[in-house]
Amino acid sequence: MKYDVCVVGSGAGGAPIAYELSRAGFNVVVLEKGKYYKEEDFSKDELAITRREMYKPKLEDEFHIINEKSEDGTITTYSGKEYNWSFWNGSMVGGSSNLMSGFFHRLKPNDFKLLSTFGEIKGANVSDWPISYEELEPFYAKVEKVIGVSGVAKAHSFLEPRSSLDFPFKPLQENGVTQWFDKACDVLGYESIPTPRAILPQNALSRSVCSYSNFCGSYPCATGAKGSARAALLQQCNAKIIPEAFVYELKSDDKKVTHALYYDAKGDSHTIEANLFVVAAQAIETSRLLLNSKNRYFPNGLANNNNQVGKNLIFSAGGVGEGRFIFEDLNLDEQKTLMQRGLFFNRSLQQWYEYENGGKHQKGGTIDFLFEHANIISKAMREVYDDSGNILWGKALEEKIKKSITTSRVLTFEVFNDWLPTDDCYVSVDEKQKDKYGVNVGVINLYAHPHDLKVGEFLAQKAVKVLEQMGARTISMSISSSPPPNLVAGGCRFGEDKETSVLDRNCKAHALENLYVTDASFMPTGGSVPYTWTIYANAFRVAEHLKEVLKRN
Amino acid sequence: MTRRVFVKNSFLTVALLVFSKGKLFATVTPLQTIALLQEDLLPLVKQLQSNSALYVLKILNHSKISNADKQFIRNGVKWLNEEAITLYGNTYTKLSYEQRQTLLQTISQTRWGNSFMYAMLAYSMESILGDPIYEINTDQKGWKWLEHETGYPRPQKAFL
Repeated sequence: MKYDVCVVGSGAGGAPIAYELSRAGFNVVVLEKGKYYKEEDFSKDELAITRREMYKPKLEDEFHIINEKSEDGTITTYSGKEYNWSFWNGSMVGGSSNLMSGFFHRLKPNDFKLLSTFGEIKGANVSDWPISYEELEPFYAKVEKVIGVSGVAKAHSFLEPRSSLDFPFKPLQENGVTQWFDKACDVLGYESIPTPRAILPQNALSRSVCSYSNFCGSYPCATGAKGSARAALLQQCNAKIIPEAFVYELKSDDKKVTHALYYDAKGDSHTIEANLFVVAAQAIETSRLLLNSKNRYFPNGLANNNNQVGKNLIFSAGGVGEGRFIFEDLNLDEQKTLMQRGLFFNRSLQQWYEYENGGKHQKGGTIDFLFEHANIISKAMREVYDDSGNILWGKALEEKIKKSITTSRVLTFEVFNDWLPTDDCYVSVDEKQKDKYGVNVGVINLYAHPHDLKVGEFLAQKAVKVLEQMGARTISMSISSSPPPNLVAGGCRFGEDKETSVLDRNCKAHALENLYVTDASFMPTGGSVPYTWTIYANAFRVAEHLKEVLKRN
Repeated sequence: MTRRVFVKNSFLTVALLVFSKGKLFATVTPLQTIALLQEDLLPLVKQLQSNSALYVLKILNHSKISNADKQFIRNGVKWLNEEAITLYGNTYTKLSYEQRQTLLQTISQTRWGNSFMYAMLAYSMESILGDPIYEINTDQKGWKWLEHETGYPRPQKAFL
């Protein structure tokens, strides 16, 4: 049979397309590489989920080649399977949105026009978006209602314009330490803002309330409260989902994609025919699929007429930091408050989303605060080395672990700022190395612009000041050029100029009439927040366009 | 038990040949070496009855542990015994507590030794603090030790 729409990938970029178009009466099929797990399959098994990474492919079977370029120009090559360097996220129906923490921030209006607002940065391919914040705003609002975003739209220096006064869902319950945080910010003159979360604080949207399990980020949600693409969209529509279907090639003629070819779990090949094809396999794999789909019309890969596919890969720049609160500094009530289990620490700072530096107005970013993850094995293992870097064992180690875990707690922060797009950060394909399917593996060419580190360090210093004011000890921060594999975008940027972009403003490939890309690949710049809300919103925007296209046809 | 399963399971229970200066010096059972090493690294494994050595057997058969990591465990057991022979003229399980501690101190200064101790500490920690569905962390004694309340729902089956 021929489908109206074939969606490759079932995460935050693909699921809104499947949800909207199937509900509009179109015949939609979704091809997902991973398995189809549902709420009843999920647990908080630390060994399975975070130690053995059960939702990621085994690196011996599927891996990337990584070329890392340093500031002095030298390039070091790593095989992901040999160096245990994974860029996989959630290989499952709903994709990595199952495993997100659900920190939901919108981009700001100036994120859509970085070039015209802040000017060029040497060595970076900064570009304005072909759409404005105002065009995306209705879809940010739609995500709040359909995916379910909880929080308070508190006024602050960079609160983006909103079409609704507040979030449709009240904030989640918070740990009492947030009051210490707010107080510290008051003293410092910082604007503490509640972090919106894609988590339901009540039964709604045919899903159950958050259970405050204390194991949220990195874990799939067993109640459905987390707004994963699976729980919020795919389980709420009748799109046909084919799990364990690895799409290895798209067939096309000179104008249209005609077929998607995929391998099932047994390695047997299948073909899907459709009128429209939407690729949303997460940024790196989307570019890899297009580059691997070569034919006589597209000898360099599908939609790659101008050698733009894979280019301008970006991540979220920034880093992490932390401070420890210890019982010796606290009274009994404060100790109890510190150890409150399960409640969220939803606080962020966006006061320096833009800031003045040396007389120049420049882009900054976001700082999210959260408690150290409750994973007990990880917490114990971080005590294995002493302050001088010597390995500990025996009673000395056991006592250190016991004291650390039972009489203190770590508050962490994450800095999000722009990873500037450059010529040296891109996806290509290795001509020799193949994965378990026999398909050429993706090559991730990495380079971080030095400007990214400067901004990250500026923001981290602000976070450190808050921790100091709160009375935390052993405060540390780490701003680096390491790419977070779960915060990846670009590779198929959208734009008006066919020479410098892959997609048009509707995320349709310039070179083909029926090929769309709706994961984070489309983003020319990434903003300074986690991407998921913007991926969802943009996919809902493209879905509106596709409804019109399908009606016309 | 099929022949294939028998071969896979046998590493920790059959003798491992240890050579010194190119000559066969001794045979050791890796399971005994690992069990004693785990007690030396994390004495609680004995007190908490966490089935830590048998857990390493599961790791050696685990679908998501790489072949390189599995081989590193096997090599580590062999190299530990070779170091024991070099330093004290006997295999690890035959050494006194003080000798074993000195040996651990010595290998902790080497790259392989540090990595091997870290790996064995990690698997031992997993056996103390992982979910009892894996036949470890008996009666949740490890969680009680750290006043840890696990997340719910707990797993219904082990992921191996």
